[in-house]
Amino acid sequence: MASFNEMESDSNGLSHLCFVVDETLISRFLLLLQRGFLIKAHIGCSVRRFLLEEIGLNSDAIEKIQSVILNGKPVDDLDSAIIRDGSSLALSAAVPGLVGATLRRGGRYSSFRSTITYEETGAQCFSGEGFVRMKLFNLLLDSLGRDFLKKGIYLSAADFKDFLAEQSSDFWQGCRDVFLNGKAAGLRALENIVRLPLSARLMLSVNVPHGDF
Amino acid sequence: MDKILRIDMGAVGGPKTKETPLGEYAGLGGRAMTSAIVSKEVPPLCHPLGAENKLVIAPGMLSGTIAAMSGRISVGCKSPLTGGIKEANSGGQAAQVLARLGYAAIVLEGKPKDDTLYKIFINKDDVKIIPDNSLKLLPNYDLIEKMKGEYGLKIACISIGPAGERKMSAASVAFTDMELRPTRHAGRGGVGAVMGAKGVKVIVLDDAEMKMRSPKDPEKFKDANKRFVEGLRKHPVTGQGLPAYGTNVLTNILNEVGGYPTYNFKQGRFEGAGKISGETQAALEVERKGVATHGCHRGCVIQCSGVYHDKDGHYLTKQPEYETVWAHGGNCGICDLDAIAMLDFLDDNYGLDTIEMGASIGIAMEAGLAKFGDSEAAINLVKEVGKGSHLGRILGNGAAFTAKAFGVERVPVVKGQAMPAYDPRAVQGIGVTYATSPMGADHTAGYAVAQNVLKVGGDVNALKPEGQIELSRNLQIATAAIDSTGMCLFIAFAILDQPDTFQALLDLLNAFYGLDLTGDGVTELGKKVLSMERDFNARAGFTSQHDRLPRFFNTEKFPPHDVTFDVKDEDLDRVFNW
Repeated sequence: MASFNEMESDSNGLSHLCFVVDETLISRFLLLLQRGFLIKAHIGCSVRRFLLEEIGLNSDAIEKIQSVILNGKPVDDLDSAIIRDGSSLALSAAVPGLVGATLRRGGRYSSFRSTITYEETGAQCFSGEGFVRMKLFNLLLDSLGRDFLKKGIYLSAADFKDFLAEQSSDFWQGCRDVFLNGKAAGLRALENIVRLPLSARLMLSVNVPHGDF
Repeated sequence: MDKILRIDMGAVGGPKTKETPLGEYAGLGGRAMTSAIVSKEVPPLCHPLGAENKLVIAPGMLSGTIAAMSGRISVGCKSPLTGGIKEANSGGQAAQVLARLGYAAIVLEGKPKDDTLYKIFINKDDVKIIPDNSLKLLPNYDLIEKMKGEYGLKIACISIGPAGERKMSAASVAFTDMELRPTRHAGRGGVGAVMGAKGVKVIVLDDAEMKMRSPKDPEKFKDANKRFVEGLRKHPVTGQGLPAYGTNVLTNILNEVGGYPTYNFKQGRFEGAGKISGETQAALEVERKGVATHGCHRGCVIQCSGVYHDKDGHYLTKQPEYETVWAHGGNCGICDLDAIAMLDFLDDNYGLDTIEMGASIGIAMEAGLAKFGDSEAAINLVKEVGKGSHLGRILGNGAAFTAKAFGVERVPVVKGQAMPAYDPRAVQGIGVTYATSPMGADHTAGYAVAQNVLKVGGDVNALKPEGQIELSRNLQIATAAIDSTGMCLFIAFAILDQPDTFQALLDLLNAFYGLDLTGDGVTELGKKVLSMERDFNARAGFTSQHDRLPRFFNTEKFPPHDVTFDVKDEDLDRVFNW
């Protein structure tokens, strides 16, 4: 996955926003990741290879991802399902209930959802750089989401405006600085974002004032 | 827990109590107890609101002990919603308190000769049945405040709201939680209407000076409980996912796979799902100084509940569960958590099943009474139920009744009971359980994913289509057994993955009762319960034709995957062939 800085250099006029916020606000930004965001990455590989090489997970971390949903369909075999340009990939830790168990990859109850299980078509796919729409759910928001926020994600202006509209006053108090296209711009930077058409795409990254989070 | 309290509400001269030994019901608890009594003692062709029906309230086999998660309580009767046998269960404090008072069941029998309303007070010394018409039509929260004033804070209450008094088929029986709030409900099947028909507004339980129930082998029991708790805490669902986000953690994933019924079961994805997900809900609760991790009864180690505050930081309701958020949210096109929380509060206060009410309102919206997504209209419709207006009485009698009243064809019910939050076209296996459960459409009927440990039904190839039939059968058997122990069904996740945790549960039962129960014994208990229930339904006139999903599930393609329910009828008829 390309880092935020790399995105800046190849972004062709996209607005790049970098929020520097109090640690307490990170959880608010993490919630954005459940609704979907884009990353630029190498595509044309299996889901497992994508998770290992593009997202940077190790085998243990992949084991904790109990449900993998590719283009809206639960995946059982991470090695045969292929990530293509424009694919949608949602990741979830274990969730409760019979249906939760049913949606686990390769689980005993997978036959319960056989009509919607992902089956690789074998259709030709381009190998190179492309966009993948990611969603992170539940415990994975915290365990994987921080890295995405640090490196930067692509969002539609509509989604980001929705996010801003939902924030209360304490959110703005916790925003220490905002950088627009690499330059400190304060909250005034958001005026430019508000003027973007809803379909426009922007890049967002989040950090804390000093050190890692 | 060696006696049954029977209260004849229709006795000459006023209600009379009688304590009887357990007799043939010895060794039963929870659902096994309620279904055994209803199956044996209630005429299957009786009117559910008549004198011949009985309302049975039974704690589980391990309730009242130090065993973790043992606070479920079952309510059974002939259902006014389905016309068949019903067991609805709930959390809250009552199971522990009732068990410590020594009762394996309370059975409300007969019917008062007039419309006098009664409260029942039970402590270690006495059972008092007191006429109290000042309680008439009190909502649950007001009622419990009154009971606190009269009996103090160390009580547990079992009550009905106005919906139960008006004998609506969506009426629930409420149980107070650790904070003495009426937030826990035996919701399904109209059990509250049967309590209303018996003329009982509230049962107040006081277990002062009563001790925890003692096991036959205290050391083994303590050791088993320790292993049981460790198993629950180390499992990712019971130890992490449920405590962090509650059951509403399911919204995002069901929505993503296109199995989230939206706009009265028209489509499988809701564009507003992220705004009402468990992740969003938990963050909001914390931000407003509510609680995102909380138990519904003492002894709960999973803590899947929470406390929901309004915008001003004041208590509004307990954390709405996934089924509630779906029923009042996605199913009605509503993506406002505050509105959903208000609907949850109103349901609890009037004493209504949140699933049935969400389904009724979805149908009302389809009929044009309100627009999908109009949260204010949805709140006003539930308030109509609270007022008991003609419209409210239609809605309060459930989804099927509402659909008939307004001529709606898409009616997501089985045996008259509204379907929960998983579309059976996307997750066909759960459709098998919806169709065949003796309870009507019920997501919990096949919830206990313990089949691999119990090994009921022999080796099943789950990857073959026919595996869904066997799995549904086995899941229903396992669930019926767990419902009888008084254990929260959520223990099933740890049992599925951790055979040692299942063994700890068996050891708890064995150490408490001095038994030598094995997995086979648990299977037999589950089969026995289901057999009793199906026998009752058969005598009440149910046939295989009632074990079907509504036709539209076979004919209407469900976006985004455009799937239909295609399990064959002859396969559905094999579910209970054991």
